[in-house]
Amino acid sequence: MAKLILKFEDRVLKEVPVGAQLVKIGRVPDNTVMIDNPAVSSHHARVFRDGDNFVLEDLQSTNGTFVNDNRVTRHTLSNGDVIAVGKHKLVFERGEKEEVAAEAAPSEEAPVLPELGGTVFLDTKAQRELIAKMQAQAAAQGQAAPAAPTAKTPVAGAPPPAPARVGVLTVLSGKADQSEFRLEAATSVIGKSDTALVRLKGWFKPKLAAAIARKGETYTVTPLGGKTLVNKQPLTGRYELKDGDVLEVSGLTLQFNLQ
Amino acid sequence: MRLRVGAATDVGQVRKLNEDAYTVIPRQGVFVVCDGMGGAAAGEVASQMTIETIQKHLTSNDRAPAPVANPSGYLARTERLAEAVRESNRAIYELAQEDRKKAGMGTTFVGVWVEENIASVAHVGDSRAYLWHSDQIEPITEDHSLVEAQVKAGVIRRDQVEESKVRSVLLRALGQEPEVQVDVSEVPLQPGDYLLLCSDGLTRVVPDSGLARAIAALREPQRICDYLIHTANSRGGPDNITVVVVQVAKSFWQRLWDRLRG
Repeated sequence: MAKLILKFEDRVLKEVPVGAQLVKIGRVPDNTVMIDNPAVSSHHARVFRDGDNFVLEDLQSTNGTFVNDNRVTRHTLSNGDVIAVGKHKLVFERGEKEEVAAEAAPSEEAPVLPELGGTVFLDTKAQRELIAKMQAQAAAQGQAAPAAPTAKTPVAGAPPPAPARVGVLTVLSGKADQSEFRLEAATSVIGKSDTALVRLKGWFKPKLAAAIARKGETYTVTPLGGKTLVNKQPLTGRYELKDGDVLEVSGLTLQFNLQ
Repeated sequence: MRLRVGAATDVGQVRKLNEDAYTVIPRQGVFVVCDGMGGAAAGEVASQMTIETIQKHLTSNDRAPAPVANPSGYLARTERLAEAVRESNRAIYELAQEDRKKAGMGTTFVGVWVEENIASVAHVGDSRAYLWHSDQIEPITEDHSLVEAQVKAGVIRRDQVEESKVRSVLLRALGQEPEVQVDVSEVPLQPGDYLLLCSDGLTRVVPDSGLARAIAALREPQRICDYLIHTANSRGGPDNITVVVVQVAKSFWQRLWDRLRG
């Protein structure tokens, strides 16, 4: 397998394997190879795998990165290359090719792509593999995903792929252009607005009376203007609708049902 | 409805460059925060490009009439916001392909478009949007990060996220692949509500409860932003910090109407 041998004045300080993991070289502790010397920039250079090759990249270091005494910004490493960072040297030794190939499978905790400004992006393929592995791991531990208890929010999320039921508002009394309204959208508005599903008509009707947000089979009503009552009780805050609730919005009485 | 807005960005205590970018267009109700990534200032390019693409796409006057319901179930402007984000992705990706120095550059995105009391929200990556409502704060985005996926898969607990070595690994970002999946949602807003958008430079050092306290105590959007930047910096400022706070207030006519009706 490929490795970097860190040397200072011909003394070997350390050997670092180079594989799927990105190797970061610099002065501060979050580097893979930390060289505590003022001539070395905090994040000086990095070595990463690019297909079959290993690439050295200078991270705009103050004093530069050299390979075989030539200053480089980016260089594909060959066996025996001597990288100079400040007064330290790193000798690159390339192992057998097969070993390198075998190692390509993401085996580490975080298969790392070139790190950029501290944040790393994992491509779609890599993350699918990783997440599948994590799920298997969780299942094996017998603590099968306690599906993150994200607080119930009155926020409209993506309608699920095949929702079993859809909320329907049936007009019990008042003027409306339809006798029932299916709440299929992520947000359904009641009011005078052009975007409203349930259109109110009349001078003193609010442009927006209420908005009903859908998240799967959960419907949350938010009063926005005028008077809104649920089961005869005035509504001021958000409210999660239950099957059979009666909603009164600016003179219109509607019943909510899941169908 | 009237929107009052505050915004601030800061390089933090560790980084040399500020790769975050934001835009606020109060008249249009558009607010965006981007956290760029990519060495050698390329992250700055990616986040700035995104901001410009959004400004260009959402402020053009060709406003299509809003249909009552889209086949997707979202409002037309939610779709339009998402499309602008996808367009930014393509632009960054193409530039990164052409220019080796910019290879790998990318950015997160979190943006809201508020109109008629409904906020359309779009996001990619680990910049977040929160809703503050009657003294409670709740996240309205879910990070596209490895740690979030680990929490969901039950591999780690939420309280272990802070110590994780892979906190910076993103599962989605703009500019990384030819196409990107954009998460969208819609949030009805009431007067008194606040929206807070931020980069992870804030949320890494200030917990959700700290955000809620700042809003409850200060109320004024710009003061909230300034205070939160100061707090993040006093806790080490490990990354660039950007905060945008939008306060939903009653309009003059609404207040007058309320008064007339007693």
